Amino acid sequence: MVAARVTAWLAVAARWYLGVLFVGACLHKIADPRSFAVDVATYDILPLALVNVTAIVLPWVELAAGGMLLIGWRTRPAALLVFGMVLVFITALVIALARGLDMSCGCFASQGAEEDPISRLTVLRDLGWLALAGFVLACDRGLVGIDGLIERRKTR
Amino acid sequence: MDRKTLARTVREAAMVAGASALLALAANAVRPSGLPLLARAPYETLVPCPEPGGPVLGLEPDDPVVASPRSFLVDARSAGEYGARHLPAAVNVPFDWLDPLPEEQLRELARAIAASRATRVVVYGDGGHPDSGEFLGREISGRGIKYVHFVRGGAPAVLAGGR
Repeated sequence: MVAARVTAWLAVAARWYLGVLFVGACLHKIADPRSFAVDVATYDILPLALVNVTAIVLPWVELAAGGMLLIGWRTRPAALLVFGMVLVFITALVIALARGLDMSCGCFASQGAEEDPISRLTVLRDLGWLALAGFVLACDRGLVGIDGLIERRKTR
Repeated sequence: MDRKTLARTVREAAMVAGASALLALAANAVRPSGLPLLARAPYETLVPCPEPGGPVLGLEPDDPVVASPRSFLVDARSAGEYGARHLPAAVNVPFDWLDPLPEEQLRELARAIAASRATRVVVYGDGGHPDSGEFLGREISGRGIKYVHFVRGGAPAVLAGGR
């Protein structure tokens, strides 16, 4: 019982952390899609035809998923989206590292490769986020959030 | 998580992603600084290549190692400069900043080093800043050839010694 309660609160903390992270990460991309498009193009994975669409759409998906995690509404779909996005980011990072690209990850405010270079540590950091998203997906019980409020109202 | 919940979660996630995409495209369409959906020209990404090369040791021009018969000498200057004057026994491998060491040239060099039974490679270049000799040395070292040295000051310093 106590362990379940602790797990539920840990899931809330993880949810809020990922929510703040994703909302924070998307703001500069929404404000300056051109710079983000250059970041996407730098990975040299997507064909040119998909670079701009990705740069336009991805930050809004991050905003939606991050916002939903913060307010605790449809937490599981939001955690699944974050899980999927982080998985894609990790794949892109591994490909870039394998190619020996000396570049910034483009995860937050666009920076040069010198200030924020990608490395194995970047992959490890993203693996940590992947684990947190998986944890929220599996363990969130709607504590503190709109899902919980709706659930409690239904059971009254 | 049971299958029903998982299916609902996936369905809702797809709906959120779809709605976000539509909102993103709509916002992009109305903003003055919106991106065209299709890039008209490739982006200039300017990713610097990883710094090539391996370790090289700098030698002073009067170091006896430079003239030692156990040293395989490489002149990194252009064929013209090499033709005008070079150290006896030096092999000319002109250093090209755009294509530092083509594979074929590396293979030839490796064969020549093996045939010479030298114990080290000594490279001298133009002695400029940066020095083509040091960079060619790094290239050779980075391609797996061991004990590579370069001469500080390059050809002007090494030839000024009256060799």
